Amino acid sequence: MAALSRYFRDLDMAEDAYQEACVRALAKWPDQGLPDSPLSWLITVGRNYGLDIKRKNARLVQAYDPVPLYETQLPDEKSEAIEEILDNAVFRDDFVRLLFTCCHPILSAEHQIALALKIVVGLSVDEIARAFLIKSKTMEQRITRAKKKITAAKIPFDPPSPEDRSTRLRAVLLAIYLLFNEGYAASGGDHHLRIPLCEEAIRLARLLVRLFPEEPEVRGLLALCLLHHARHETRLGESGEIILLKDQDRSSWNRPLIQEGRVLLEAALRHKKAGPLQIQAAIAATHTSALSSSETDWPELERLYRALVALQPSPVVRLNWAVAVYHVQGITAALDILEPLSEPLAQYAYFHGTLGVLLAEQGNVQGARKAYEKALALTLSEAEKSHIRQRLIAL
Amino acid sequence: MLFSVLIYSSEDVIDALSEGEIEEILSHHYAFQDRTKSEKSFGAAVKLMSTGTAVTLHRPQEELLVTDGPFAETKEQLMGFYLLEADTLDEAIEAVKLLPLDKNKVEIRPVSYFDGANFRDADRLVLDAS
Repeated sequence: MAALSRYFRDLDMAEDAYQEACVRALAKWPDQGLPDSPLSWLITVGRNYGLDIKRKNARLVQAYDPVPLYETQLPDEKSEAIEEILDNAVFRDDFVRLLFTCCHPILSAEHQIALALKIVVGLSVDEIARAFLIKSKTMEQRITRAKKKITAAKIPFDPPSPEDRSTRLRAVLLAIYLLFNEGYAASGGDHHLRIPLCEEAIRLARLLVRLFPEEPEVRGLLALCLLHHARHETRLGESGEIILLKDQDRSSWNRPLIQEGRVLLEAALRHKKAGPLQIQAAIAATHTSALSSSETDWPELERLYRALVALQPSPVVRLNWAVAVYHVQGITAALDILEPLSEPLAQYAYFHGTLGVLLAEQGNVQGARKAYEKALALTLSEAEKSHIRQRLIAL
Repeated sequence: MLFSVLIYSSEDVIDALSEGEIEEILSHHYAFQDRTKSEKSFGAAVKLMSTGTAVTLHRPQEELLVTDGPFAETKEQLMGFYLLEADTLDEAIEAVKLLPLDKNKVEIRPVSYFDGANFRDADRLVLDAS
């Protein structure tokens, strides 16, 4: 996709060409086996398809109008061009160029991230809409508008300057973070975990760490992803049921990933520019360093969440802080934090789930049942639904 | 003679490998390790974490500079290395042929000085953070 959009300098064209190449690959590869270089096969097929369309369009337009829609002088199709596209350094730059084009400042932050998730990461409109908690139709319109704006503004697909890169980096990091989240807790469907999305987010984060070694938040993002991903094999039971952090088999956590995450976080924190991603990574590191759930350092977690609330005072962050406060100060203090969140988080399943747990703990069966039922109505994933049903039965 | 066997590869390429491809690569490494261990020529195997975890220290003048990332921003990075005993360079090359050589390059470089645990007789210590 990155190579094609650099070639065509047109996001829509590149997307169509890429999809066509994938469709043809699906038709051919299962029977005939993988080509020698699947990547160059896809790029070549996509490019040829795109060029065909351009030629057809050019002819159509010429029938009505002497001025062709596209430059008729098409780039030559010599194989060196493909070789160059496949050169790793160029490919890496293509990817970054595309990512940073999507995160151009003429677009609003929400449009930037939506476009990056669609074009660079390849999430479906439905998945992006769920990540943003809005309707698919609205997201579809949002992405279409964003593409039009990019095209109308004739934004060059040239590499952004170092300054541009760092101002757009925030949006890029957020897009990768949302991608990881979508894999970590799929917002709908039969699969609670979608490992390939997590792995792709980690690959992209690694790439960014190499490109921006001096940006501590980039390392924070990679550390966060690795520390969460290290637990993925213990998060679901044999029949796909959710296993909570406190009940997970800690001996099966992926120690190499945890070690790498911790080193990355330590290197990031040396800069003394703690951002939200570094703090969240520190939270994940605190959880993973407890040998059993009873050894969890809740006072440290409460401090970290409080720091996160100071930087990012969103209702969802406050909800997580309330859980840490519950472990340190007890139910009443936690419920005090939850109370003002009931309105902003009315549609958020985890809010009602957490409230239910606290009320059940307090012995308020009636209140807990009401909260769990609300959570159940708002949950899309099957695994989460059955987890809440278990809790209802336990009441 | 003791040789170092330095493995260079592009992290961009390595990160994009599928699970099957990784297993394929590892199988070559296991073959190399099995053979050199059975021939008692295996010295050590060291796999490095990603260069993203690296910091580089330098003190050109008074002040210590600690920069993030590897020392050189090159297309290929040092991924890990083996220590290998062999009588001749030819013998080392023969063993190293077992390693995967399509997605990385391997540099064989004789060791001029080594001071460490006696890997010929000592019990093996394995730290798995690979």
